[in-house]
Amino acid sequence: MSTPTMLQDGIVLKLDGLSIAFGGLKAVDNLNFEIKEREIFGLIGPNGAGKTTVFNCITQFYKPNHGNIYFRDKHGNITNLIDHPVHEIINLGLVRTFQNVELIRELSILDNVLIGAHIDFKSSLLAQALKTKKARAEETALRNEAIEILQFLGISARMHLPVGGQPYGILKKVELARTLMCHPKLIILDEPAAGLNEIETVNLAQVIRTIRDRYACAILLVEHDMRLVMDVCDKICAINFGKFLAVGTPKEIQRNPDVQTAYLGEKESDL
Amino acid sequence: MKLKKPVFKMNAHLGYIFFGLALCLVPMLVEFGILRSSYITLVGSVIIYSIAAIGLNLLLGWSGLISLGTAGFMGLAAYIAAYLTVDLKLPFEVGLLMALAIPLIIGILVGLVSLKIEGMYLAIATLSVSEILRKSFEELGFITNGFSGKTAGYPKLLGFFQLDRNMTYVLLVIFLVGVMILIHNLINGQMGRALNAMRGSEAAAQAMGVHLLKYRLVAFALATGLAALSGVLYIHFIKYTYPPTWSLGMSLNILSAIIIGGVRNIYGTILGVFVVFAAPDLFLKNIPYFGSMPGFAYIINGLLIILVIMFYPNGLIYLGSDMKKLWIKWKAKVNR
Repeated sequence: MSTPTMLQDGIVLKLDGLSIAFGGLKAVDNLNFEIKEREIFGLIGPNGAGKTTVFNCITQFYKPNHGNIYFRDKHGNITNLIDHPVHEIINLGLVRTFQNVELIRELSILDNVLIGAHIDFKSSLLAQALKTKKARAEETALRNEAIEILQFLGISARMHLPVGGQPYGILKKVELARTLMCHPKLIILDEPAAGLNEIETVNLAQVIRTIRDRYACAILLVEHDMRLVMDVCDKICAINFGKFLAVGTPKEIQRNPDVQTAYLGEKESDL
Repeated sequence: MKLKKPVFKMNAHLGYIFFGLALCLVPMLVEFGILRSSYITLVGSVIIYSIAAIGLNLLLGWSGLISLGTAGFMGLAAYIAAYLTVDLKLPFEVGLLMALAIPLIIGILVGLVSLKIEGMYLAIATLSVSEILRKSFEELGFITNGFSGKTAGYPKLLGFFQLDRNMTYVLLVIFLVGVMILIHNLINGQMGRALNAMRGSEAAAQAMGVHLLKYRLVAFALATGLAALSGVLYIHFIKYTYPPTWSLGMSLNILSAIIIGGVRNIYGTILGVFVVFAAPDLFLKNIPYFGSMPGFAYIINGLLIILVIMFYPNGLIYLGSDMKKLWIKWKAKVNR
């Protein structure tokens, strides 16, 4: 059960003893960490460490076996995410991207971004079918907002082109734009730099910081590109085999012997 | 360089209304003796089947859900409308509403099931619903007259305004244009994007707040509702129905019309229905030797499906605009 005192001031998300097992495999085992408001928080770990599973638990694609996930929503109320079905999570101000970009190929970039505004449409299906004045005004307002976001990300010139056939770097930005439509409190990015070249990755770090400043939201990201993680994150949590290893600033994480072991293996003298 | 600039970009709604007006020319041309009288029935059936096909396209094209139950729902609505207006002597409007409501409820139940079964299995489940309905039409003779079939008349609007064949045809056109406009609005707004998202990626749709169950129910409700509307119009225009009409063949024909004409395209759907349901009577019959072969239309139909899927997956409706592009390219080449 959620207790309001579970979240200290300035904390937006807290994992409390999160565990999930698939059959006999403990994908995530008693994981705890906290994310502050406006913090860029990195979750790292070797392949198969359970990072994406953590994401899926937070966004309720998986229901964890044990533990709680406390979240301070858009209106400042504290809620336990596991009490909500998956499609309600975005209403609280928590939104995610996907490891393999999940966009609709046949729709234009603009329409894909507008899918992110799904929950902001208040007019009924009947009003939409009849295209009442209110429904039209709503559509226009959200469309303008989407165009503004696309301009901010520098891809508004392409907005009427279909998503299918666009370069990967653009697709990643479209997915980012889609998350921004809901005025999030916390954005979860699943490997935002995967498939990007070096220049695009450097650019991405800048974009992530600007988003944090402009939308005053926290960002949680999983990433394999260590340069990006070390460059952009305020705090990092390292996990391995679903278990907590260390949490700290990028410098602390780099120096941590447990993390080094997990990534590079044991020293020969220890064997 | 563009040689000709369009004076105004045609509003989509205006386009649908003009399309409707063009359809209304058919009875006039018949009056003037330019077209044969049977063309009214032919184009009228295209309109009727188009309404059901637009509904199925909503399901198959936009939402990515399959149904082979279209014919069953059309037939159910046709029988309900016939029973209520002929046997119970109720007005046309009451028959219409009841014939929409009952299939709608069954459609929503199928939608509920669709969350648990997908793809091939959903196709089988909807096919069984349709076959159960068809079998009921055969067996429930006291309502349906069994194999002798059931007749009904042209609609009598508001209890006193008796329509004749031409006026019923105009009524069909009005219904079609209304359906086109409403569906156009829906698919170009929030609902259309939600359905697209559901088809493209269920995970992303859910992450963006799309309630899958709600939109599957909406898609099934709209599709069965339009199939039912199509069935009601069928019985009041063709004026006769018997069980074999509503077999799997009808559902498959409507499905192939969508694929041939254009998935996720309203005009494409109508073009597809024309190709599948009207072209055999209009053109194929005139081909010497083959034209009289039974099942020749099915062969052409099958060939078209294969060709369209392999070489033209967007559907024949894009033939026009693609030709235009080629023409502009060719012109530019010549001018240079």
